[in-house]
Amino acid sequence: MQHSTWIRRAWIVPLLLSTAVAPPIAQAVPSFARQTGMACEACHTVFPELTHFGRLFKANGYTLDNLKQVRDIDATKQEMLSLSSLPPISAMIQISETWLNSPLPDGTGGTGHSQTSTVGFPQQLSLFYAGKVAPHVGAMVQLTYASDAGTIGIDNTDVRFANSMVLPQATSLIYGISLNNNPTLSDLWNSTPAWGFPYANSDAVVSPLAGTQIDGALAQDVAGLTAYVMWNESLYGEVGAYRSAKQGVLNPITGGAGPLDGTVSNVIDGAAPYARVAYEYQWGRSDLEVGMYGATFKLFPGGGSTAAPASLSGPVNQFKDIAEDFQYQYIADEHLFSLTGTRIHESMQLDASFAAGAVTNPKDDLTTTRLIGTYYYRRKFGGSISHFSTTGSVDTGLYPAGPAPGVITSANGSPDTRGWILEANYLPWLNTKLSLQYVTYSQFNGGNNNYDGFGRDASANGSTYLLLWLAF
Amino acid sequence: MKSRLVISLGSAILLGLSWAQAEDIDAASRTAAERVAVGTCATCHGPQGHSYSPKFPVLAGQQASYLVSQLHGFKAQTRGDADALGYMWGMAAPLDDALMAGLADYYSRQTPRAGPPGDPALIARGKDIYQNGDSAQGIPPCGACHGPGAAGTAGAEGAGSFPRLAGQHVQYLMKQLRSFQTNMRNVAVMHGVAAGLQRADMQAVATYLQSLGP
Repeated sequence: MQHSTWIRRAWIVPLLLSTAVAPPIAQAVPSFARQTGMACEACHTVFPELTHFGRLFKANGYTLDNLKQVRDIDATKQEMLSLSSLPPISAMIQISETWLNSPLPDGTGGTGHSQTSTVGFPQQLSLFYAGKVAPHVGAMVQLTYASDAGTIGIDNTDVRFANSMVLPQATSLIYGISLNNNPTLSDLWNSTPAWGFPYANSDAVVSPLAGTQIDGALAQDVAGLTAYVMWNESLYGEVGAYRSAKQGVLNPITGGAGPLDGTVSNVIDGAAPYARVAYEYQWGRSDLEVGMYGATFKLFPGGGSTAAPASLSGPVNQFKDIAEDFQYQYIADEHLFSLTGTRIHESMQLDASFAAGAVTNPKDDLTTTRLIGTYYYRRKFGGSISHFSTTGSVDTGLYPAGPAPGVITSANGSPDTRGWILEANYLPWLNTKLSLQYVTYSQFNGGNNNYDGFGRDASANGSTYLLLWLAF
Repeated sequence: MKSRLVISLGSAILLGLSWAQAEDIDAASRTAAERVAVGTCATCHGPQGHSYSPKFPVLAGQQASYLVSQLHGFKAQTRGDADALGYMWGMAAPLDDALMAGLADYYSRQTPRAGPPGDPALIARGKDIYQNGDSAQGIPPCGACHGPGAAGTAGAEGAGSFPRLAGQHVQYLMKQLRSFQTNMRNVAVMHGVAAGLQRADMQAVATYLQSLGP
């Protein structure tokens, strides 16, 4: 779980929660390999991108195994327990160094600047319980220490029930339920936000102001229940709903974990519906998926205090996110190639914030697109190139100018941000990755030169990121 | 398929593997095997052995003797092609002889079917190679061992059997042929047969075989 620095200063723009560059995610789980006896390459091209089999393993609830089981039956010989003899535990560590193209102004307001590079040691350390829990029940639970928060917290979590049946003409139907804490976390493809590229990125960079809600803004702050079916390993459908489940938030009156009240920002009104449909077609070594996903979030701005009360009733801000995605994979022994893309369009109806004078428009929109090409030679050497873009309505309340020293502000009230990510990877072993990533912006928070009104250019926020990523 | 004997054959001849008798499969073993087949194997090999993904072989109607020999090869880690290591070494590790025989019996009893049709010209060339071989390239007719309809042969006790190829995925067949060529899958007979096979001819034979029904 990662929180960008600007989120801590959320009083500037209470509506905005996410980043145009997806937050760092982490998913490489050797306990699945231990459980199945299969090598990483069965489920991944190169971790964490899934192969077709990896998608089936996930859809089947992480339950496929070949470990010796501790069993119990009742008097009618019904199975009461089937527990793996070894717990599916894994760990993951990311150690990194990040160089911003131009150092940040010193936070004290002095004339100096911040340290020129940032070492994350570790940037992130995760423990996983990832594997079968019982017949038809599996889980991937991730506990993460993140250097930006400096604390240990719950990260991506997906608890599943899954089963399958054979239909006429020997076609298959997999069906299941997922309890998870991040919209699109339950998805099977790497073209959707939760498991999308970049698979790791620095937490010591400047993130853009704007991002859509489904694009990680609510990650780990919601609890969702989704139901899915996959017919003949090709047609996939999923529906569900997400409700706020904030971590580390106390009710000011009870001092306990809830109920949530107006002191908390961006609480979902009731439950937010989520839907996903995708079709995957395989031929030869190729595999093509096209699909759509979306959700509607009605959020109370909240964030109130005794000086400025707020409540979890009355008008809401509605975010309607509709997205298209595709993923093409070519997987051979020597050459592996994938091309993924998504376009997320968000329509905002900001009744609550407009009434409060926090935004200048009652309606705004935002569109994020990403296109990523990845190539690997023998799963050892490879890299990715990605273009990303977030554009939308000008709103000087939503994307405000100031205060000093700028950096995470917009002089013209535009969210427009565009850029490229170049990444080179070397994997001496399938569970060890050395990565060099370069991020460059041609536009940042609506501008190229002096985008923040305090003299900083978009290119200054580019970064070079060296990462050692170990999963074991 | 009602196989009298399930013998380790084909590639397994050279591996010196043991065999199991199909008639030894009792109802309990059959039930246990079916449970594993449906709950585990089907993830890759599809419902009733009809795999959807061309990476994974169709098992429906496969010769039981061949399946047993391959499972032994995976468990003994003597079949060394990359997918065997990556997928099947782990999956076969906990299988005992009774379960292997049960699984082989289950898949051999499933009804095979033709795969997607391909380019008619390729199929014609593939059929010619399959039936007549190509003496100029030193390629014997495949059908001599795999049978005229590519249904494979069960063989007899102590003798070789040959796998069903009809209806198999083109991609899987081509990968196996290349594995035989390079000895990644170390089967002397097939190494000799496939050594001179050009890529275009592999494609032709595989396309022909995929198009064949039961």
